[in-house]
Order: sequence, then structure tokens, then C-alpha cells
Amino acid sequence: MKIVEIGTDQIEVPDGNPNEMDDSMRDRLGESIRRFGLVVPLVVRPVGTKRFETVGGAQRLGVVRDIGIESIPCVVVEANDAEARLLSQALNHIAGQDNLGLRADIVRHLLEDFSTKDIQAVLPDSIDSLKGIASLGQSDIAKQLKAWQTAQSARLRHLQFQLASSQLQMVEEALERANSESSTDSTNPNRRGNALYKLCKTYLER
Amino acid sequence: MRAGSVIAARPDNHRERGGSNPTSALQLIRVQPVPLTVAKTLLIRNHYLHSIPGGTALTFGVFRGPRLLGALSLGVGPKNAHRLVDGAAPDDCLTLTRLWLSEELPHKSESRVIGVVRREIRRHTNLKFLLTYADPAQGHVGVIYQATGWLYTGTSQATPLVDLGDGVARHTRSLSHVFGTHSLEHFKSHGVTASLVPQAAKHRYVYFLEASWQERLNVPVLPYPKLNIDATENGGVEHEDR
Repeated sequence: MKIVEIGTDQIEVPDGNPNEMDDSMRDRLGESIRRFGLVVPLVVRPVGTKRFETVGGAQRLGVVRDIGIESIPCVVVEANDAEARLLSQALNHIAGQDNLGLRADIVRHLLEDFSTKDIQAVLPDSIDSLKGIASLGQSDIAKQLKAWQTAQSARLRHLQFQLASSQLQMVEEALERANSESSTDSTNPNRRGNALYKLCKTYLER
Repeated sequence: MRAGSVIAARPDNHRERGGSNPTSALQLIRVQPVPLTVAKTLLIRNHYLHSIPGGTALTFGVFRGPRLLGALSLGVGPKNAHRLVDGAAPDDCLTLTRLWLSEELPHKSESRVIGVVRREIRRHTNLKFLLTYADPAQGHVGVIYQATGWLYTGTSQATPLVDLGDGVARHTRSLSHVFGTHSLEHFKSHGVTASLVPQAAKHRYVYFLEASWQERLNVPVLPYPKLNIDATENGGVEHEDR
């Protein structure tokens, strides 16, 4: 199997390629190629004299064209339509899954070695998500449970109402009026909750 | 192999790998907090229900060395489940809603993990008891809970799902979230043909973190149900929504 340099204008993408990529992911792919180069050759097959079609790498072809790269390394395979479809699906869908515990160690290094801007330019994960992964295996169960228990005392209680549209307006108006007249209850930072409390108190004390 | 044992939930090669020195192998397992998103990723990928319920309060990962090989979640569970215990408030209990462990982990890992989580919750929170459910429709009777000393309290009342005429069975909690109600009469009054889709009752287990609270249990403790030897039990924890 040979890797040959082929002009990007000689390669086309087959009709109906199901692999799509949104702009943000495409930007990251572009940044990765600018930074590291096209480190994995495309897989193409000949479809005519000096003409080729992608079997694997259609998105990268689009990005390198946008960047202005004129020729790229490709692995050329002899494949008929059926074999090309099968290989393309295999290339796109045979993949492992990260063990998140092992990935956490890599992510911790990344967060130490690069700025969040550099990381976000290349990786699809949000920084919050990466920080969450980086925290794996680092947290103390006792500390977490104590913090959870402490937080329970701050939890306000929910009381849900379902109202018909015709009832909603009146209730909203009453809450708004009570809200404007009510003083803040230090035990509850929720203004509408306080307003409802005041309405109920007034009703019960009348 | 005895019916109803945790061993029955493991493939033969797994038992062999984990059986030579289970104590030291189990000691290598660590249970640590993980973010909800991480537990969710793992449970959706691997747990047979491929979901994580709303109202999840605590999530833990199960590690061996640096590798994350399992996850479990605890949450609010079924509405009014706390009423099994006289004088209990919703804040007194949590429900173990999901547990998935990789088969790479040694024999009795489930027991070890459940034991660690219970011990730490008992030490560091004010929770008084835990609940969990096993789904007989999946061939589960809760052998893990039997092996770890939970009390069996029979089958729970299963809340039926609701079909709004489109063939999709929705949970009443989902309906209430979207429509503000799951009243069939309400839907009928708006021309929606809603019908109930019965659900099988689930085996219910309770574990008292505060031993003195056990006398408040207001349902009888029953003998453990037996595992049908033709059924397989994969260690999954069934979640029962309200």
C-alpha cells in the first residue's frame, strides 16, 4: 500500500456522503490541521484518469481546500462501489471508547500544559466537561457527602401548581401586587415564594 | 452455584478470574464521586435501561487503578416512597436508581461497592434509609440486595404509563412536566384519547442506615424471592419512577 501525494482538485466526495460536520467542529478540525498538519492520509479510490474519490476523509478534504493546501497524502485503494461503501463505513464507525478514568489523566496533563483557549480550539469538549473528567478519581467521597448534606439545608422546597390559562393571569397579578408590597423574608430569597406566603398568611389571618 | 447468588450474574471466565483471591482483588476497587455527566455517560452506554432518572442526587464511579469500570446513582425515587417508614420525610431517604459494573471487575464487586456507599452515606449524611427496586420483568429478583442484607418488602405498586393515542407509553412524571397534569379526564376533555399502559410491579428492598428506624417500617419484611434459574440477572438496578 502506497501513500501518494494527490492534488486536492483531483479528489471529489461521493454523492450522499452521510458524514456531516457542523461549523464549530469544522473549525476545530481546521485548527488541528494548521497546528499539526494532515497527519493521517486520506483514503481514496481512482474513479477515472487522474481522478479520485474519497473513501475516508471527506471532511478533511473540505478543510484542507479551505486552508489552501493544494496537495495531500492519500492512500489509494482499488475498490468497486460496494467495497468502497463498506470500507468507508468501517473507517467511520469502527472506533474504541475512551475509558474515562484513563482519559482523566490525559486531560489533567492537557489542562496543565495548554491554555483553555488552545484546548478549545482543537478539542470538541467544553472546558467544564474536561474539568469534570479531570476530576475523576481525585474526589474524596467523605468530603463530597458532607458537602451534599450541608447543601440540603439550603434547599428550598418546591410547590408546583398547574393553572388553566384563564387562571394564570389573575394569579400572576396577585403575586406581583403582593410582591411589590412584601418585605423580604430572610429565610427565602425567592420573591414570588415570599409573595405567595404573604397572600396565604393574609388569607389565614383575615 | 446456588440459585439467586451474585455468582449467577457473572460469566464463568469472570468467576475464574476473580475467584482466586477475591479479597485482595476487591480491595483494589475504589468508589469515588463522579460528576453527573460522567455517570450519565457510563450508565446510558452500559446499563440495560440506557437512561438515568431525573432527580438524581448522588453519583459515584467505581475505579480499579485509574480505570473507571462502573457507576451508580442515587436519587429521589418514587414519590411517597418514604411513607414506608412511619414519621419519615422525603429527605430521610434516597433510592439507589442505577448500578452498573463492568464484568472486568472481580466476583462480589457489587457487594463491595454497595457496602462502601452505604457505609460512607451512613457516616457523612443524615439519611436514615435507602430504597431500591428489582424488575421481575427483566428476570431480576434483587440477588445483590439479598446478598448485602437489604430487607425485602414485597412488590411495589407500579404506576402505569400513559399512551396519548400515538402509541408512545409515557411516564406520568414526563406528562406532568410537559402538560402540567397526567389526568386522563383532563386529556379527554381536550379531545385527547389517553389510555393507561399497565406496568409490572417491582421487587422493593429497603436498607436502614439508622438501625433504630427499622421498627418504624410499616410494611412486613418478607422472605427473599428466589431467582428463576432460567433467568439471567446482570446486576442492573431497576429504577421505578413515580
